[in-house]
Amino acid sequence: MNCEVCQLKELEVEHFEIREVLRCILHTIVFHRALGLVRPKDVDLELFEITYVQCGDVELEKKIDEKIDHFISWVEKHPNKKSQICLSFYEVKSKQPSWFTNKTERLYWEQWYVNLNVTQHPKHHSSKSHHTKLIVDPGESATEERSCRRAMVEASLREVLFQIIKFVNEKKDHVPPISEGVIYFPYEITIPRKFQ
Amino acid sequence: MTSTHTNSHTEAAKMEQVITEFFYKSLLIILESRSSYVSSRNYSGEQIVSSPSSSSSSSSSVRPRDKWFNLALRECPSALENLDLCPQSNFEPVVVDVILEQKPLDWGPASFSPTSDIVRNLSSKNKNSYFWNSDQDESGSEMKCEKIIERWFVHHESRKGRDFNSGNRRSSCNNLSALYKKLILMLRSLYVTVRLLPAYNIFRDLNSSGLIRSFKLVPRVSSFVEPLTRKEEVDMQRFWFTPVDTSCGRLCLSVLYYSSISDMSSESSTPMSPQFIPDYVGSPLADPLRRFPSLPVSHGSPSSLPFSRRHSWSYDHYKASPPLVSFSPSPTHSESNALVSNPSSRGLPPMSLPPHPPEAPLAHKRDTNFDEQNLPPSPPLKITRAGTSRTDNIRVPAETDATIEKIFSFGKEDCWKYSGVKAFSNSSPRISCSRSSSRSLQDDFDYSEFPCPFDVEDGEMMDPGSRPESYVRRGNPSDPNEAGLFMNRKSPDAAVGALVRMLEKAPPLRQNVSLNFSEASRPEILSNSVPKQSQISEAVTVEHAAAPNIASFRLVASKTTTDALEELRGYKVMKNLLLSEGGKAYTSSNVASAAEHSSTSKGT
Repeated sequence: MNCEVCQLKELEVEHFEIREVLRCILHTIVFHRALGLVRPKDVDLELFEITYVQCGDVELEKKIDEKIDHFISWVEKHPNKKSQICLSFYEVKSKQPSWFTNKTERLYWEQWYVNLNVTQHPKHHSSKSHHTKLIVDPGESATEERSCRRAMVEASLREVLFQIIKFVNEKKDHVPPISEGVIYFPYEITIPRKFQ
Repeated sequence: MTSTHTNSHTEAAKMEQVITEFFYKSLLIILESRSSYVSSRNYSGEQIVSSPSSSSSSSSSVRPRDKWFNLALRECPSALENLDLCPQSNFEPVVVDVILEQKPLDWGPASFSPTSDIVRNLSSKNKNSYFWNSDQDESGSEMKCEKIIERWFVHHESRKGRDFNSGNRRSSCNNLSALYKKLILMLRSLYVTVRLLPAYNIFRDLNSSGLIRSFKLVPRVSSFVEPLTRKEEVDMQRFWFTPVDTSCGRLCLSVLYYSSISDMSSESSTPMSPQFIPDYVGSPLADPLRRFPSLPVSHGSPSSLPFSRRHSWSYDHYKASPPLVSFSPSPTHSESNALVSNPSSRGLPPMSLPPHPPEAPLAHKRDTNFDEQNLPPSPPLKITRAGTSRTDNIRVPAETDATIEKIFSFGKEDCWKYSGVKAFSNSSPRISCSRSSSRSLQDDFDYSEFPCPFDVEDGEMMDPGSRPESYVRRGNPSDPNEAGLFMNRKSPDAAVGALVRMLEKAPPLRQNVSLNFSEASRPEILSNSVPKQSQISEAVTVEHAAAPNIASFRLVASKTTTDALEELRGYKVMKNLLLSEGGKAYTSSNVASAAEHSSTSKGT
């Protein structure tokens, strides 16, 4: 079975936008790969006029949030660096058991690379006090620039979501068959080594 | 053979069922995200649990039809109703038009038809694309505008010549499960896509905001539709879902949509064409009693507020002493009536207008009103009085001098009056010259040179029985109770004149002393602008003087100087009392006692 790889379009985001953007993208992908019985849950982004869909699985939501936190802390340690987060789906195959090994292996059949370029804007430093200090009105032009930038990010995010939809539609054959009682395929979220 | 035939027939039936359910599910997904108030967004159904073991419990709460394609959605009555009309047996294409429908608004008078304005505005603004289909009902008075903003196509392309019976059973099963998996994936992406298209924002706003909008989304399901115009097809974008092959053809799903329709919805939510609102809250034409509820209540009468509001932009603060009571009622009354009657004529149906846009200016107007009231040109009664007395005490001498000069310009013999009045004016700023509610702005400006230094507090009139109107109207100096110390609504001149008259009528210091002020002596005294002690004594007795005896005059003058001094002291006491602040009421008793004191001292 081939492993289909999808490199999503790079998004230029600010630090405070990482969480929402990643939640949106990762949940959208997982929803397309949660082929078990789901009751979808619509979530409206706060920063953008976009509604994405979650499976409605609490455990899944928790795991994704943990990985996003891990990613954010990595970004904070490596500022001004292009970053990437990888969502992989795999099948668990057990190796031929031998006397010494009884391992299982993961056969990745799909990998999604989410590319982010986190801009460390001094205005939007994570420190609260710094944030509040610098939030003092910089003028109309800065506000317009900010809203323009926000619109661009929203448009880019929308493009990424459509990219996901197109990929899902175009490539279906590699998706494993649905197992009874399984809601979503096993997955893992990692930060590729070259970015570490 | 027979079993094969049966199997293939079974497989075909299953295939048909899958395709039918696909049609149903896809329509359900589209309709439940485009029909108002019916949506999985509002669905408070159970969430699935992660553990497979509990899948049975979760499945028990899931309706049988929800299990199709493993996507549990809320039942959509409108969709079901529409689907009842759709033929499902022969897989005819199904077209779902999502229409943005402009509701006709009831604006009241037929002359005012904002619906047409809306259509005109929208069509003029969106010059490149949108045109509205407007229909008139039977009455011809309403216009309904429609616009197709999305068109969904769900159809099954049959592939002729494919043999159902070909292939073995196993491959058929594989085909069916593969098909089912692919349809699941397609429906997942459909579910996500309907939420990314612009029409979903309108749907979400309609459902979540709770505002009464002038438009609505109306999905229309049909098998045969009129083709879109070429312009529409050019303007709209198309998104294709990758078709899924079936055993007898392929299932196709696509959508035509406008990439930007947010302008339409935002315009539609503010349907009123720009109009000048003459009677906004805070305007001089507005109801004066309409106040922002959280504003502090003025100490004065409520009618003082409109006066202040009215003059907040035109009133000189230093002249703001008079407005303690409301201005003339007639314009206010008519304005309030106008306000009441206008809303319908202005076309402000309470229900159809979205509250936000009017509220924003209203809030702004409220704030404006608040600001106006926070910056009272004429503060409430007590404050005004204090400020006025302070202000006017500064200004009184010069201006009162001028006033007095005017009043007494006709009377050369009134030099003592001049000085006496001046002293009195300095010490007793209690005489109000303008307290009247009927005082008009014109009056204020007419007497702007002579600001009223004297204010009388409510209920603190020296003679409650007397009425300022009567004093003003009558102008009768014969009644000492009415003169001078009471409010003179008309002019400060009259008040000063009344004071002078009172003084003139005051009992003489000496009854048997006859003072005869010669004509020659008066000009001499008149020429002195500063009152002298000798002149003060003269002020008391002038009117009642008999033929003067010069010799006795000098004797009397020397004797009455002391009295005059005492009288002056009395006046000073009065002045200090009046100047002592804030809301200390200057009672009439104080004035009377001072007057008595002065007269008593003269008598002794």
